[in-house]
Amino acid sequence: MLSKQLIEDVLNAALSTSGDFAEIFVEDRTNSQITLIGGIVENTISGRDYGVGIRIYKGFNSVYAFTNKSDRETLIKTAKKAAQAMIGCHNDLTLNLIKSDVINNHKILKYPDKVSKLKKVEAMRKVYDAAKNYDDVISQVSVTHLDHNQHIMVANSEGLWKEDTRVRNRIVVSSVASKNGEMQTGYLAPGAMRGFEFIENYDLEALGKEASRIAKTMVNASYCPSGKFPVLIDNGFGGVIFHEACGHSLEATSVAKGTSVFAGKVGEKIASDVVTAIDDGTLPNEWGSINIDDEGTPSQKNVLIENGILKGYMIDRLNGRRMGHASTGSGRRQSYKFAPTSRMTNTYIASGNSKREDMFANTERGIYARYMGGGSVNPSTGEFNFSVLEGYLVENGKITTPVRGATLIGKGTEILKKIDMISDNLSYGQGMCGSSSGSVPTNVGQPLIRVSEITVGGREE
Amino acid sequence: MEKKILIDKIFQYGKQLGLQDMEISYNSDTSFDIGIFKQEIDNYSLSDNNKLSLKVIYNGKLGNSYTEKIDETSIEMLVNEAIENAKIISSSDEVEIFAGSKNYTSVNTYNENSEKVSDIDKINFAKKAEEIAYSLDKRIVQVQDCMYIDGTEESILANTKGLNLQNKSNYVLSYIGVVANDGKQIKSSYSFACGRDFSKLDPEEMATEAVKKALSMLGAKSIKSGNYPIIIKNETMGDLLSSLTSIFSAENVQKNLSLLKDKLNKKIASSMLTIVDDPFMECGLASRSYDSEGAACTYKKLIDKGILKSYLYNLKTAKKDNVETTGNSLGSSRIGPSNFYIENGNNSLENIMNSVKEGLLITGLDGLHAGLNAISGDFSLSASGYLIENGTIKHPVEQITVAGNFFEMIKSIEDIANDLKFGLPGESYIGSPSIKFKGLAVAGE
Repeated sequence: MLSKQLIEDVLNAALSTSGDFAEIFVEDRTNSQITLIGGIVENTISGRDYGVGIRIYKGFNSVYAFTNKSDRETLIKTAKKAAQAMIGCHNDLTLNLIKSDVINNHKILKYPDKVSKLKKVEAMRKVYDAAKNYDDVISQVSVTHLDHNQHIMVANSEGLWKEDTRVRNRIVVSSVASKNGEMQTGYLAPGAMRGFEFIENYDLEALGKEASRIAKTMVNASYCPSGKFPVLIDNGFGGVIFHEACGHSLEATSVAKGTSVFAGKVGEKIASDVVTAIDDGTLPNEWGSINIDDEGTPSQKNVLIENGILKGYMIDRLNGRRMGHASTGSGRRQSYKFAPTSRMTNTYIASGNSKREDMFANTERGIYARYMGGGSVNPSTGEFNFSVLEGYLVENGKITTPVRGATLIGKGTEILKKIDMISDNLSYGQGMCGSSSGSVPTNVGQPLIRVSEITVGGREE
Repeated sequence: MEKKILIDKIFQYGKQLGLQDMEISYNSDTSFDIGIFKQEIDNYSLSDNNKLSLKVIYNGKLGNSYTEKIDETSIEMLVNEAIENAKIISSSDEVEIFAGSKNYTSVNTYNENSEKVSDIDKINFAKKAEEIAYSLDKRIVQVQDCMYIDGTEESILANTKGLNLQNKSNYVLSYIGVVANDGKQIKSSYSFACGRDFSKLDPEEMATEAVKKALSMLGAKSIKSGNYPIIIKNETMGDLLSSLTSIFSAENVQKNLSLLKDKLNKKIASSMLTIVDDPFMECGLASRSYDSEGAACTYKKLIDKGILKSYLYNLKTAKKDNVETTGNSLGSSRIGPSNFYIENGNNSLENIMNSVKEGLLITGLDGLHAGLNAISGDFSLSASGYLIENGTIKHPVEQITVAGNFFEMIKSIEDIANDLKFGLPGESYIGSPSIKFKGLAVAGE
């Protein structure tokens, strides 16, 4: 993307004051987004993101500068300007960049630029038709297709020089059911690190029907009761509970500065015995996967919690310096506009031994969350919240009435100890995770789990 | 001038391909962003950011494209991509490239003195805020996210119908997050200061506010579930309002995605409620004289004394409803407010609290992006605040949820305070006074 000479010169300019490490990141990315609403394509946008980010460290301090221009003059000027923020004298550096190949674990068949826009619309229509025709109660359906092809290059003053390509496809369906002046929505958004073959091979009709089934169920649901209940959270996107309640607090971003509730607790028991949790960016073709992170470190499988014991964190380079620990391949960023920091990839609770039937049979009165919505967490207090998209009452071991408007709240440290049963049906759900280095694709995942007690906020007493 | 030459070349290339109506929006911004951690510069970022967006009309359909690689090599891709995008549009809505409004109200969005402030002064500002936060109370165990950010943006909107608008704006923003720990409980809070004039930011005021808020939450506990009268504090009410602006979008109304459909000139809220969109507000951080389509922005009351008076329009949705655009296009068919706020009431917050026998003052709502459905208006949100008994604060409250429905709630307003406050600025700048509601469902113990 840039010549070896230019990269070396920029890195040298970046270290022209007292910096002890410099990195250059180049991104060239094409994006496409098409939206079909009410059966009509009204809006489509596509284009090219392009820019260069330059980062310098001095000890634990860092400077980041970015620009869209990649000519020699601008890049050297930007590097020098950034270097000026680091006061001191020049470290002599002899750079010898050797480009190393990145092993691609994610086979891509149909690249975005090889697929006609009409083909994408055709696929979206299949989802739309299935969703709209599901039931008369469905008043509106929107379908969005997104794809991108992100090409990155990263090089640093330690001699690292790598390039990689990331292709992702996603389809988002939102169905609205209306009844007596009320509206409820059903939402699904599968995605993968794959080409258009992901969309072609997907059961698009089932996807549309499922979104509408959720909306219809919820428009006919009564309000969720409030109070403390055992809660059964189903597999797939249900894993958002671990992502929010614990995952963010295991990122070095909050651990390195000691602000996380889990800081300094490696080796300690932080969860019940049945909990094993993993962040694995190497899973082939998964939405949150990466070959290398945005600092050039190969992605790896990181065991976070094993049988309830805290094993490790997700760590990027800079926070690794603070913690005296190597990067775990977790340095990610939305784009060249952000300095990378430690982030999740595909984070999940591993399968356990409980049987689904037993988990329900053992619940006298509780809530079953079939699909979860999103949520958020305050990493310094561990307080989290998330919404239930499709929920039911569990009475005497059986799933009974559908309930809407349920929110689950609690503290990460407490809920981990209250997970008392885990089933064996691990699956994943896809999301966009926002944090200080922007919004990145991540998978959440889990089998069906049961939390013995959690505060449920609803509108009925 | 360089920019003008490139814009002309793009139009020329488009004309060669038979296009007549084209529009370019060209935004360039630079920003400075620092973070302080224990008196050291922990993060230091500089940016120079450019984006060129193209809009074309091809066979009566609108096509969009953009690029951040702005040079002659991008011209072909930009125009071709816009045409390809236009080809798949199946909407029969009439589209246009806008020749411009008759009059534009000029708005001052740029403070040149702020650009003369040295980096050292900005760094010292943030360092001082951090220092003050630590010095105020020894229970403040950590200052996190102590940052200072500023930026300048220049934009050009030019089209083949002769429109050529330019604007320059700047902002300055500082933010501080603090963690308080009394050995029993950890609580965090934040505050911020923003505007266009650096000299008006006060590090002491900002740090003191964050510290006060965090300390006042120590000792928080849950309360019994039930239905409580609730006052939502100004900033928090602003956060809630921010998540609901989409209900005013004419696009959502026309697509059956807003419950405000068919409610124009009807009473939808308490007559105490007036909601304004004022693009000309002095010191408004979303002030603008024209919107992203080049249409003049307008002052309007969306809800006037409880009656729905208008939606937010762009050109396309206005044409459909046979009205004038309100100048609320935010680009690529998105619609949103500018400086958007609930008007002050007459009472002080103190007086309103005095009227509460047993109720809650809510100062934090979390999970707005997930626990609130702007289409149905239903919400169930993690909340924190204070329990009020006989007009005074009894103790701080945590680990509760507050649930209700926005459309029902605005009918049950009992009082509005006179403490209008705006939140963090973005494309829109949203504010509210504190508001007392009759009752909402609370889940706790």
